[in-house]
Amino acid sequence: MPARPAAPDAVATEPATPGAARGGKFLSFFLAGEEYGLEILKVHEIIGMMPVTWVPRTPEFVRGVINLRGKIIPIVDLRRKFGMAQADVPETCMIVVQLEGVQMGIVVDRVSEVVTIPGADVEPVPPFGASVNTDFLLGIAKTNGCVRLLLDIERVLSTEEVSSLSTVMSIAAESETTE
Amino acid sequence: MSSSASRDQRPSPASPDLNEIAALLVQLEPTDRADVERVRGMLAALATDPATEDLDTCALLSSAARALGNVEWESGADATAAIASASRLLEHVMVRPAATTAAGTMRADEADGSDALPADSDPDLLQDFVAESREFLVAAEAALLELENAPNDSEAINTVFRAFHTVKGTAAFLGLERISAFAHQAESLLDRVRTQEIAYTSRCADLALRSADMIGELLSAVEAALGGERLVTPVGYQALLDYLSSEIDTTDDAPEASASELAAAFELDAPAAPRRAGTAPSTGDTPAAHRGAESSVRVRTDRLDRLIDLVGEMVIAQSMISGDQTLTGTPHSDVARKVAHAGKIVRELQELSMSMRMVPLKPSFQKVARLVRDLAYKGGKLVEFVTEGEETEIDRNMVDYISDPLVHMVRNAVDHGIEFPSARTAKGKPAAGTIHLSAYHASGNVVVELRDDGRGLDRERIVQKAIARGLIESDRGMTDSDVFDLIFAPGFSTAEQVTDVSGRGVGMDVVRQNIDALRGHVEIASEPDRGCLFTIRLPLTLAITDGMLVRVGAERYIVPTINIHLSFRPERSMLSTIAGRGEMVLLRGELMPIVRVHQIFGIPGAVEDPERALLMIVGDGDRRAAVLVDELVAQHQVVTKSLRAGLGKVPAVSGGAILGDGRVGLILDVPELIALARQAPESGQRSVA
Repeated sequence: MPARPAAPDAVATEPATPGAARGGKFLSFFLAGEEYGLEILKVHEIIGMMPVTWVPRTPEFVRGVINLRGKIIPIVDLRRKFGMAQADVPETCMIVVQLEGVQMGIVVDRVSEVVTIPGADVEPVPPFGASVNTDFLLGIAKTNGCVRLLLDIERVLSTEEVSSLSTVMSIAAESETTE
Repeated sequence: MSSSASRDQRPSPASPDLNEIAALLVQLEPTDRADVERVRGMLAALATDPATEDLDTCALLSSAARALGNVEWESGADATAAIASASRLLEHVMVRPAATTAAGTMRADEADGSDALPADSDPDLLQDFVAESREFLVAAEAALLELENAPNDSEAINTVFRAFHTVKGTAAFLGLERISAFAHQAESLLDRVRTQEIAYTSRCADLALRSADMIGELLSAVEAALGGERLVTPVGYQALLDYLSSEIDTTDDAPEASASELAAAFELDAPAAPRRAGTAPSTGDTPAAHRGAESSVRVRTDRLDRLIDLVGEMVIAQSMISGDQTLTGTPHSDVARKVAHAGKIVRELQELSMSMRMVPLKPSFQKVARLVRDLAYKGGKLVEFVTEGEETEIDRNMVDYISDPLVHMVRNAVDHGIEFPSARTAKGKPAAGTIHLSAYHASGNVVVELRDDGRGLDRERIVQKAIARGLIESDRGMTDSDVFDLIFAPGFSTAEQVTDVSGRGVGMDVVRQNIDALRGHVEIASEPDRGCLFTIRLPLTLAITDGMLVRVGAERYIVPTINIHLSFRPERSMLSTIAGRGEMVLLRGELMPIVRVHQIFGIPGAVEDPERALLMIVGDGDRRAAVLVDELVAQHQVVTKSLRAGLGKVPAVSGGAILGDGRVGLILDVPELIALARQAPESGQRSVA
């Protein structure tokens, strides 16, 4: 499912408030009725749902692995990660993100659009009130009347979080040679 | 200019004394205790002399002193053997080119104008030359080591000679005068061995090996120069060149050859017309360099890997087509036949592509041979090195991983395993220790064995050390192999002395790590004073796993066929529960624990009654177990892919593979699965088999 082109946006001219997260282009998507933003530079591609192979003895939010054209990549279930109820509507797609050369997929309800969010529209995260652990957020964007939670995807998918506890993350180079 | 010349002509700060001692050694009466002691004192003094900066020289000198000190005068023995071994060590010191003291670093030779590659040189040609010459050097080194055992092997001498000759010719053609000059000297030396003018002695072997090393360094310099750096002369170049030519000169009975050699050497040193003499006669020989190159094509390894990856993907794509329902259900059997035909071709292609990556272990073994030789010299030990099965093939990607463990294990064997000659004779063993390195294929594995006849592992010391390091609390209930396994723990070292080569506590953990990374196993067997045997088992290749697809509940897993001994459906009478050890199955008089995959992984909906499921016997020895799965689905060859990039290490899963339907199947790591099962029911208790 390709993302729709970015809606034309009025770019705010006033300087960004100090302390607020940077603005920029974000891919917005829906999860449990709320809209989120994901930095577009981290997005590799958007793919439709496909069968996921469950991997035993991994954290609950790791749904499993898929075959992305011959490459095996892990899939993270954001609802479980954020402690939300399981979806009652079918999930439609996965966003493949690329972090430090490692590709991972996240399952979302629905992808919306690519938006440009001016830095001035980004506000720091209030310490409470968000449905998501505030550690995982870069900020909250209020653009054209809608509120989007900007995800710090690196933190959400940080290797310590995803890889099981006891083991050392192997460098990407090694996995290349042993494949 | 003059400063450089004087530097080159003084091989080492210690050499004047060294020469004196060498002269004294030759004249020593083996029965004159006082004189031997005097020389020993001189050697020891020289070894600790601050002017002797080079650590290797110090080590060699003190080994020589020790050799003289070990003479058992009381028991009436004379010092003949000790003097011989001291002279050999001393010879070694004197052969050492002076400037290698600078720890192998390079310096630019200001005196020499040629600090750049020839102006009209073709970088591609030079690159090819470097690669090709390296191969020649490897062959030469192997032949030289062979010669040590069979000094009259004319084929081996010819190989070395040819190698130097070809390098010389091509270098001259490319205008690399320093290399050609040097190769010329080395060739001359070998020529005289070949024509049996001089005997092939260990001194000669040393020189030839050092020459090969020097050419290797010269090649590295050329390579660096290709990368835009200044063309530097490796340290010790001139000293070794001088030494070579003097060596050729002093062996007198070949007036013609030595005269020209001498002339060449002189001219090389003359500032006015440098490096001409060596190159001139050889320019006509270049075609020889290209002989024998037609039968193979050099391919870049990344291209080869990519090809193999793609063939792997093609196998998957092919099996997806052939498994497609529209095809299997089609009334047009014609299409199905064509697809099957394509499948055959694809499989053949896959086999072929895999074999392209297989290389013999020989180069790795050769590296070890050289290492053993050098280490033995340094440590003042006598070691005979025997190899077997070096033609055994292994995946090229694994070769790099296997070299390191081999090096560490051999270092350990020479440094800690093999005793000093005097200690060996005292124990009634031959003075020379033997290190036996062999490789063979066994049930789809490559087995590499390293055996030494040294003192063996000291169980008590290992246990003490492990307790001191907090690795274990006591050795109660630990078998010998459990104890020996401890030496693979990071930072574990039993050596009392830190030596130059090993004993710093790194090494054996590297062995374990590398072998684990290769999905292999390493076992140690040891007997006090009989020696030590390391057995490494490795898969042939990491890329493809021959596996059995099994189903557990709704999940499917691949179990490597190599792990499965047999599978069967048990009867009620075979099953029993033993207090404290859980469910067991009795098969042909052997009692094995049942490992329930669904329980370990928490898979719902699996068959729980063993009588209606299937047991697979896996593992070896006391680690045998019966793994409970729902059913066997099919046998598959799968391309192993790592899961680590995103997930880290997943317990009991060694990787993933793409199945015929395009979904991912996980490959079970059977030994880990069994280990998990053992922990699960009675966690904390160490089960002793």
